[in-house]
Amino acid sequence: MSSKINIHLIEYALGSILRQGYKSLFITIVFTLLTALLTSIFFITNSIKHELNTTVDALPQIIVQNTKASRIAEIDINATDKLLEIAGVHSANARVWGYYYFQNAGVNFTLIGIDEFEEQYSSTLDGIIKKGELDNSGMFIGAGVREIMNASYYKDYFNFIKADGTIKKVMIKGVFDSDIELESNDMIVMSKETLREIFGIEESKATDIVVKVANIEEIETVALKVEQMFPNARVITNDDMKLSYENIFNYKSGIFLALFVIAIFTFFIIIYDKMSGLSSEQKREVGILKAIGWRVEDVLKEKFYESLILSLFAYMLGVILALAYVYIFNAPLLRDIFIGYSDLKPAFEISFILDFQTLFLVFFLSVPIYVAATIIPSWKVATLEADDVIR
Amino acid sequence: MNKKSKLTFYLFSLFSAVLVVEIAYLSSSKSMTTDTKEKKVLFVSLTGLPDLAFSSNSSYIRHRSLSMASDIYSLDGCLREYDSATYAIANSKIASKN
Repeated sequence: MSSKINIHLIEYALGSILRQGYKSLFITIVFTLLTALLTSIFFITNSIKHELNTTVDALPQIIVQNTKASRIAEIDINATDKLLEIAGVHSANARVWGYYYFQNAGVNFTLIGIDEFEEQYSSTLDGIIKKGELDNSGMFIGAGVREIMNASYYKDYFNFIKADGTIKKVMIKGVFDSDIELESNDMIVMSKETLREIFGIEESKATDIVVKVANIEEIETVALKVEQMFPNARVITNDDMKLSYENIFNYKSGIFLALFVIAIFTFFIIIYDKMSGLSSEQKREVGILKAIGWRVEDVLKEKFYESLILSLFAYMLGVILALAYVYIFNAPLLRDIFIGYSDLKPAFEISFILDFQTLFLVFFLSVPIYVAATIIPSWKVATLEADDVIR
Repeated sequence: MNKKSKLTFYLFSLFSAVLVVEIAYLSSSKSMTTDTKEKKVLFVSLTGLPDLAFSSNSSYIRHRSLSMASDIYSLDGCLREYDSATYAIANSKIASKN
């Protein structure tokens, strides 16, 4: 096999690339940018999917929300007792949570209430909080929330405006670990009691109820029973949430698809230009080569080496740039598609996933197409008689 | 091998080396560690709320990052449907009859 690789043809191909100068440079630049753009898009989506899939199994199995006039309304805490009567239900916990709009910065915080004395929460919090201990007068905040509060000179505490218009001062007891910033950036965790006071939610009411089912195979059946028990309730299973994640990517991928189409379209214009035939100078070159004794296969081999060197060079450079762009520089410009323009942006530091599928996909979308687009017109010319081509 | 071939060979070798070093660096410093993964799972199990802090368009996903005036749901904290016209008074079927 190695005897078939003709080093002289490779040397000639290199010479040919250099002779074409600006044309080769232009193709390399466009090819590199195209590869970098496509690869970056795939890297970002893959990493975010991975991020979401990591935590999707930790989500509640069933969430029960009350509706009133088709809007979400507070749910009666007594409903938990009824839910526990359903066969297969392991536990039912009423949650208190909601948004708090901080007008000064124009952002929404997500406030979660927990029972601070429950053992399970203490051990969980120990793992994700840098310091501090939760009590009725304190709260834990995400890194983004801290920045927003600091900008408004709330260093140690924050004044929440309660539902009745009065002020509730809550001390900042700790900040969530930076490792979970993508999840916790806009979050504030405090005791349920404090949260009820801020939102004006009565003791007998909750935002929603989380149901845990002993056997995961029974989730759908239990969800159905809950719907029958509370006909006006909205029952969301973790499968619904997984579908919603797909939804996110359908939406975001739509934007990416537009970029993808533009990139591919640009690439195919270049390919079309090449397929439409060789320039008279290139035809003349092929004719001379044939006249001095080159066979058709020699010409094709030389063109193959030429296009392969150029496209492989651009592909490798594109992948190197894409890796640096997405994971080292955190994808400037492209990240705005995901994080929007809110002031409460998380640091877009997505975790690195080496996805060979993406690399192969981009490779097969670019390199073989370019090689084929170079060889086919060359073959058309090379099969003609030398004097016809030169003339 | 002439000078150009050697240069090309070195260039491809350099690219391969850069690629390998870059991937090794990213794998060691930017990939999700088991510790980080555990923290994320702990946090999500604590809050029980889906969505990363920047996702803003999907059903049953809370919309944390919506905070602009044009975001019609920005003040309403709930898990909601995808269709933004859900709460419109007249739905499209009624509208189309007129």
